Amino acid sequence: MKTLRYMGRAMGLLLRSAMQYRASFLMQTLSQAVMTGGELLAVEVLLGRFTRLGQWSGPEVLFFFGVMQCVFALVEFVGRGVSTFATYVGSGEFDTLLVRPRNLLVQVFCTRLDPRRLGGILVGLSALALAAAGQPLAWCWGKALLLVASCLGTTLLLVGLFLIEATVSFFSVKSIEMVNVLTYGGRTACQYPVDIYPTPLRLLFTFVAPFALCMHLPVSWVLDKPLWGASYWAALMAPLAGAVFFGIMVRVWYWGVRHYRSTGS
Amino acid sequence: MKTLRLRPYLSAFRVRALLETQYRGAALGGLVTQMFFGLVYIALYHALYASGGAQETPLAEVVTYVWLQQMAFRALLSADGELNERVLSGGIAYDLCRPVDPWGWWFSRAVAQKLVGMLMRGAPMVFLQFVLPVGYRMALPPTWGAGAAFAVSLMAGLAVIAAVDAIRSAVVMRTLDARGVSAMIQLLMMIFAGNVIPLTLFPAQVQGLIRFQPFAQALDAPIRLYLGGGDFLLTLGMQLGWLLALGWLGRGMWRRQLLRVTIQGG
Repeated sequence: MKTLRYMGRAMGLLLRSAMQYRASFLMQTLSQAVMTGGELLAVEVLLGRFTRLGQWSGPEVLFFFGVMQCVFALVEFVGRGVSTFATYVGSGEFDTLLVRPRNLLVQVFCTRLDPRRLGGILVGLSALALAAAGQPLAWCWGKALLLVASCLGTTLLLVGLFLIEATVSFFSVKSIEMVNVLTYGGRTACQYPVDIYPTPLRLLFTFVAPFALCMHLPVSWVLDKPLWGASYWAALMAPLAGAVFFGIMVRVWYWGVRHYRSTGS
Repeated sequence: MKTLRLRPYLSAFRVRALLETQYRGAALGGLVTQMFFGLVYIALYHALYASGGAQETPLAEVVTYVWLQQMAFRALLSADGELNERVLSGGIAYDLCRPVDPWGWWFSRAVAQKLVGMLMRGAPMVFLQFVLPVGYRMALPPTWGAGAAFAVSLMAGLAVIAAVDAIRSAVVMRTLDARGVSAMIQLLMMIFAGNVIPLTLFPAQVQGLIRFQPFAQALDAPIRLYLGGGDFLLTLGMQLGWLLALGWLGRGMWRRQLLRVTIQGG
């Protein structure tokens, strides 16, 4: 509860400081929407030309895309502190967090909440609306639950992936673009269902960075085409992989904190 | 404009180029990232082409297109962070004391950064791509002429990107907070230069239009020459035409900004 209040307070502060540059803030929120919109345009162009992707129809592909864009916008909103963590270490700002009597990771999240990123959710939602309009989907509470579980699981997975990069920054001041492969690369690759890819990529996104379990399996169940013929319970439990992944990465990050040496003032 | 002296601009070019070669770790990271994105895109196109429906653009051409885009990615997406910093810190005042045309100064720097950044990531990728399995590797240009035309046109393309970048920096000077506008212009470039999806895959009805917009001159035009399509002189003429137009616009914007520039700091 305390944590939530803390997050709310941080959010208010950040909004107020953002409002000092109101035009720029609006511009940036808008540009987030436009940027995600650009990717929607790209997917629409591809679907216009090819109409199908493996066993998936156009609206089904759009549905996967919409879920991924919503989740990624959410991740960039809450996880900005983690994804830009290297700058905390580089500037010595991390020291100020260490001396405050609040949970360390919560502080990392709270000091850089980034509401501008929510602009992308608008586009994700419109992709979902387009997808729902394009195909008859029978809805029930069970499916809604699957969708929520899937979004939560994928969010945790992505924040966990960003935590890897954050942990590495304790040991090396060089930014390592390579970790982008799994975060931004994962977003680009896994906005399409995993079964269209060749085996190496499929294995990567099932067992190493389990987007297939967190997102594709439950979402494919919602679309009535469960991957690997999975049962409802399997589809509901699969996003737990994201939670487990996140839990492990939090552990690893705290292990990194113990090896943190300040860069000085 | 006084007598045109090239030396200061060449030296701005050289200094920025040397600076860029210092970022070898970043180049390696970029190389891995671009390889991965290339592989993912190509896997996606394999799946799309396998889903049926005849296409006028052969898959092999799309594969080569994707690799060339990934190789040149750094040219599209690099930005000179220093300008923003100098505007915010007031350091821009020193730059303005120099007896050079500021637009030309920053333009030369941008070309240097983009050219060297692209070569450092792109050149090693060429070798990697030829060892990939068939279906995933890029093809050589059909003729020597096509290869040479590509090289010349790519240089013109870099200049077009740098000219767009100079416009972006004029906007930076005005708003002081660059992120929103920068992100938007860069996304426009990525889509309409053909990085996100090849422009050859856009619907046939818009092909006529999409080839002639300024961003297509950056990378799409050279890549079409590489693939053996398009007329060299016509393409180059179009690129240079847009370069002049964008350069004129950017230089005008810089002039106006410099007349009313506020020096920050004290």
